[in-house]
Amino acid sequence: MVAIAKHEQDLRKGVLVLAVLSQLREEQYGYSLRQALAERGMPIEEGTLYPLLRRLESQGLLVSRWKAENGPPRRYYALSASGAELCRELSASWASLTTVMSDLLEGGER
Amino acid sequence: MKPEALIESYVAEVVRYLPRRLRDDVGFELRSLLTEELRGRAGDGEPDTATTLALLADFGRPAEVADRYRPAGFTIIRPADAPRFAWIALGGVAIQWVITLIATYTAPATGAGDDWLSRLGTWWLSAGLGAFWWPGLLVSLSIVAAVITARRGTDASEWTPRAAAGLDRDRISRPLYVLAIAGALVGIAALVAAINLATWWPWLPQPVLDAFVIDETFLTTRAPWALVLWAAAFASMIAVLIAGRWTRTTRLLSIVGNVLWIVLLVWWVAAGPIFVQPAADSVTKGCLILIAAICVLDLVITARHLRRGIPEPAV
Repeated sequence: MVAIAKHEQDLRKGVLVLAVLSQLREEQYGYSLRQALAERGMPIEEGTLYPLLRRLESQGLLVSRWKAENGPPRRYYALSASGAELCRELSASWASLTTVMSDLLEGGER
Repeated sequence: MKPEALIESYVAEVVRYLPRRLRDDVGFELRSLLTEELRGRAGDGEPDTATTLALLADFGRPAEVADRYRPAGFTIIRPADAPRFAWIALGGVAIQWVITLIATYTAPATGAGDDWLSRLGTWWLSAGLGAFWWPGLLVSLSIVAAVITARRGTDASEWTPRAAAGLDRDRISRPLYVLAIAGALVGIAALVAAINLATWWPWLPQPVLDAFVIDETFLTTRAPWALVLWAAAFASMIAVLIAGRWTRTTRLLSIVGNVLWIVLLVWWVAAGPIFVQPAADSVTKGCLILIAAICVLDLVITARHLRRGIPEPAV
């Protein structure tokens, strides 16, 4: 039996970073980011997303700060300059990739 | 256990696997995120233990979660090297066990309580367990190599067309090959000189001359075959040198040559004395057995080269 879920997961994994970067042009904390992604049809497991934010920060792609606004302190993340640059580059690559993939898939169905 | 206490324990377990400098920061954030996640799952109601446990189970095992927080580490043993590493590590242990077990059970008995079981026990506590120094050493060296590679920031040296040329295993290095032929010629000259020591250098001390007195039967019956094999080997080596590479024919010739050499050397050793003096004879035979072992090794390597082609799939 083909493990469809596993392949789909791998497919999503490939666009995970771009999906996260795309939502961090404005400051967000982990939970609100996860909600925002889920609302737009990109649910990411909490156990994957929260560590990913830290890793992206350690790579210099995100900046973060603790902030308390009407509740307990939360760590807010946003794109750094290099994160914004990467987001632009990956967005262009993604656009090109979707065109290619659409061509391939339509060709396959002919 | 209350949900807050469960989350607190879980977070404490996760940060235990993290570097000390990150623990407080990550721990505080993780706790607040998990608390919000739990509230989100509970909706309007109060979070209960079952919901909390389900959330933590979804989040993952603490050690795995901690791994996700860390940047990608370095590989100590590459997956491609793992099978060979396992063979070398376990093979080394097995060889040590065989040698030490033989030594243990062939040693003379020391007394009444010296039975096979007590020998086995003594062996296990000394050489048996001691053999594991070998895999330990291999792993330690691999760690050092991985750390050095990681610090250099590259996985391996640059893969250039020049390096790729190394894939052509049939190609020979002519200068090295000439050196090998010259070395073989010097070796043969030395052997011939040793045979004729008394004739060519009669002024040498008598013990030296006596040591190199060759058995007459060996000289007349078994020794001449070496000349035939040497001549054939040189013809083959010259052919390889001229072509600049090994071919299937020269490799096959090499295999045949190796087999003939092994047969000849075994015959030399088994069929009687080579030197008249027993000490010289036993040393020489030891050397010949070593040469025969090298021939076997060369035979195996050459045969593997021959088998290298990828067979066509059955259709």
